[in-house]
Amino acid sequence: METNILYTHKSLVEESKLGDRNAQYKLYELYVDAMYNISMRMMHIKEDAEDVVQDSFIEAFNNLSSFRYESTFGSWLKRIVINKSINQLKKKKIPVIPIENQMYHIKEDTEDVPPEIDIKNIIKGIRLLPSGYQQIINLYLVEGYDHVEISEILGISPSTSKSQYHRAKKKLVEIVKTL
Amino acid sequence: MDDFEKYIKENKALFDVHKADKSKLWANIESGLNKPESKTKTVKLWSHVIFKVAATIVIALGLFSLVNILIVGQANKNTQNNLALQELNDIDSHYKGLVAYQVKLVNKSTQLSSEEKKEFLSFMDELDIEYGLLKVELQKNVDNERVLEAIVINYKKRIELIENLLRQINSSKKMDNDDVYTL
Repeated sequence: METNILYTHKSLVEESKLGDRNAQYKLYELYVDAMYNISMRMMHIKEDAEDVVQDSFIEAFNNLSSFRYESTFGSWLKRIVINKSINQLKKKKIPVIPIENQMYHIKEDTEDVPPEIDIKNIIKGIRLLPSGYQQIINLYLVEGYDHVEISEILGISPSTSKSQYHRAKKKLVEIVKTL
Repeated sequence: MDDFEKYIKENKALFDVHKADKSKLWANIESGLNKPESKTKTVKLWSHVIFKVAATIVIALGLFSLVNILIVGQANKNTQNNLALQELNDIDSHYKGLVAYQVKLVNKSTQLSSEEKKEFLSFMDELDIEYGLLKVELQKNVDNERVLEAIVINYKKRIELIENLLRQINSSKKMDNDDVYTL
């Protein structure tokens, strides 16, 4: 079953490898919205997110020969988008990892999560988090990366990723409750 | 995983609230893409500029040397042939003159019967045919020197033949004269 998932859109990928513009467009159409949303969640600015998506697709198609089905095409592409977004944020000097100092304001006992929260409020809540927390919440909760993957993406240790995530989550719950 | 995390993961799809401007993004992407490669991977190597240049140079050199060999070879052949032909012409005119003169002498001679003349001339014809063959051989350029030698020998034979004939005529004359004197 797993290998089948890895080979999703295999024929389109193979045709795209040979430079077939139609196949490339079909892949683009399939993934562009998802990629744009990922980048928007990280960059927040439409133009920045568009730049990242464009660059990511160009890089993906031009280097497609190095794609060897070790993951799905979607997750390979997603990783490119995430890395490019992180690089862009770093260039803009926006912190991608949480700053330790910000922790002192947070109470340690916020485990009581409201049962039904509007997703819109969660999205809004994430936007209100400090930039470093936003990335770790996005990567773990929304994008579904585990702490080892996040540690690779952000260049931190997995244990830092874990502890920062928990703090970020507590902060998020706190914010959401106030909305 | 707590309820909060679970709740978010279950509703992941709701986080995708944005719609990309597909055509605008694609236009920018397409301009940044490599030109499509040809379908077969083997051609990929040759589509590289360096290989194209290298191939052009190799082909150009090959053609040049081929043409060069042909031209030089032709020129050599021509000069060789020209030299041989000139040599041949010199030999030809020299011996032709001699032979023609002597044949004339034989024909003039009143001492010889028509049969003897005929026999002599048939010999000469045979040598003429041989001479023709040798000339053709020379055109084919098969070992020039030997062919030329053979042509000279051919002429010499004719002259020898004629000289022998003339000697015979003269000796018979003498005999005749002696006869007269004895009378």
